[in-house]
Amino acid sequence: MADTVSLLRRLILESPPGEWAVNQLRELLIGALKQGPIPQHVAFEMDGNRRYARSRRMETVEGHHRGFEALAKIMEICYKCGVKVVTVYAFSIENFNRPKYEVEGLMQLAKVKLEQLTTYGDILDRYGACVRILGQRELIRDDVLEVMDKAVARTKHNNKAVLNICFPYTSRAEMTTAIRSTVQEFLSPTPPKNTPFSPSRIRQKILSSQLDGREPLPTIPDEPLDGGEYEDKDSYEDKDPYGDEDVSSSATLPPGSPEPRLRSGSYGSATLPNPDNITVDTIERHIYTANDPPLDIFVRTSGVERLSDFMLWQCHQDTHIFFRKCLWPDFDLKDFIWVLLEWQWRQKQSDRENPSSRSRNSKARSMME
Amino acid sequence: MPISVRDTKAYRADERHGHALLTEAQRQAIFKASLPAPNDGPAGMNSKGAHVQRRSRLGVRRFLKNQVFVFVFALMHGIFSLYIKSRQTWHGVAYQISSILYYHHATPQYIRRDVEGLNKKPKHLSAILKTEVDHRAKTDVDRLIEETAELATWCACAEIPMLSIYEKSGVLKKHMPRVYEAVIQKFTFYFGAEHPTLSVTSPHRDDFPTRMLEESKHGHLQLHLISYQDGRESIVDLTRTLADMSQRGKISPRDISQELIDAELSEGILPEPDLLILFTPYVELSGYPPWQIRLTEIFCLQDNETFGYQVFLRALRNFASAQMRRGK
Repeated sequence: MADTVSLLRRLILESPPGEWAVNQLRELLIGALKQGPIPQHVAFEMDGNRRYARSRRMETVEGHHRGFEALAKIMEICYKCGVKVVTVYAFSIENFNRPKYEVEGLMQLAKVKLEQLTTYGDILDRYGACVRILGQRELIRDDVLEVMDKAVARTKHNNKAVLNICFPYTSRAEMTTAIRSTVQEFLSPTPPKNTPFSPSRIRQKILSSQLDGREPLPTIPDEPLDGGEYEDKDSYEDKDPYGDEDVSSSATLPPGSPEPRLRSGSYGSATLPNPDNITVDTIERHIYTANDPPLDIFVRTSGVERLSDFMLWQCHQDTHIFFRKCLWPDFDLKDFIWVLLEWQWRQKQSDRENPSSRSRNSKARSMME
Repeated sequence: MPISVRDTKAYRADERHGHALLTEAQRQAIFKASLPAPNDGPAGMNSKGAHVQRRSRLGVRRFLKNQVFVFVFALMHGIFSLYIKSRQTWHGVAYQISSILYYHHATPQYIRRDVEGLNKKPKHLSAILKTEVDHRAKTDVDRLIEETAELATWCACAEIPMLSIYEKSGVLKKHMPRVYEAVIQKFTFYFGAEHPTLSVTSPHRDDFPTRMLEESKHGHLQLHLISYQDGRESIVDLTRTLADMSQRGKISPRDISQELIDAELSEGILPEPDLLILFTPYVELSGYPPWQIRLTEIFCLQDNETFGYQVFLRALRNFASAQMRRGK
């Protein structure tokens, strides 16, 4: 009985008119979804390819191929809906621990798919999507890397949407890289500012006016004292010839006397930036997804309720995280629509609670009412 | 639209044979057939202005189509609202019933029996507690402390050695002595005189009590309080320190490794928890330290809005059945 039903279903769905009807329905649903608020950035953790393959008695690599097909479908839905950035977890650094033939297979898969993307490049062009590879490039094999760079270069001009492929990626490595490059940034001296006003001249003016005046203990130099010390230290690191002299002079002279400050001011333009100026935004700029809008939705399939080192920095604030039971190759519009609907519903809900919270929902709200 | 079944079959066969079956042209034809029309797709996502422009250019048909979309959208959301409302009601009732069924009766033996069969328990449990917006601050703090004490006691009963509580605003951290008192009170209520020892800790703060008494034979619980400050801010702090050190030439940026950062953050802020329990209706981490949740099992009871023992128990059961693969 069940067999005949499934056979009938297949016959109907896989016949050309059946397919046409299904496609029309998809278009209709996507078009309808587009009427509401649409997430700007969606991340997928594509989990379950191997379990899918196992349950269908396939080769593991074929499970991954099916996973890629599912990804293509989901990407299509996302871009049609108007999602700007789709980020997918294609390969984790930890995945290198998998059996060698599987890693080999995944590399081959990535290579072939990206090659196809570059040869038939207009697939992504139609959606105006560009490809970016996020992750530790140095771990990728040369031939794969070459194809990847080609794909990235081929789609670079597209600016409507972005496909971020995390390959090989872990979030901790990403954060480490961000921290390292922030530190690196703060190691290079700030370029001297090109203004007609020289700080040393201004300082000299102030000091001379104070010295001319009656006040023996000026109040203004008191404040930049800390800064002055910093500059001394920094220039000690940078400029060895003056360094020794500078330190000794600042050590011997009583604090508050104008001399050392004046001198440090003369080459103060080459000082290092103050590390206290590092903020969340500084690090954010060095995160792989720096130019992308904040992550709205995080989807993980196959029922595992962990982040597994994916998008930790991006999703720990107000991203809505969805854990789904189905395996990734089965993930399609029929599953994703629930995610989107629930997200839209929550947006509406939070909108109702604090009406002025998000401007982009206002349009949707007016349409829903 | 997706690739048709026939084409999919051909494509898959081609894949299996190492991309030797189809010619370039055939493959291209498959892709071409499934592409959207050039003016379709993301053009529609533009701003309202583009919408209007297109509508006027393409006339009535576009307009009608849009109307259909709006209608279907309203319909979908109508149905979805109904679905979610009934789901919430159903879950509400189900959770009420199970909270009656799994009541702990403030007896450690019951809790111990509940967790006895589990094949693994978290060594470090973490939970996110929320301040309620519309409540008065004072009662809210009382509620938070009460919940913390409650949770700490369950952990002590289940012999989980470490519990960390994340509360965004950091109000719990400010009241460490009060939290300590409340937990000890709960301990005595549950265990009587022979209760486990407790230490309340928090990053950048002295432990409480400052001097640990000798470990009692009834176990020990470490209660760790964290807030939003210990999330991204702690990473920023670490970066500042590292930048400062490298400016002084004490370290080189190459020395900054994942291990170093991990060691610093897990010692200074919070070690990686095994299980994170949320008492919110859906998963939202609201600023929980990002570095530490890498492999943490996240448990959230769908549509649940209450703080209760049954959530704790379900989380432990769920944790026991979850398997760790670590990328394999």
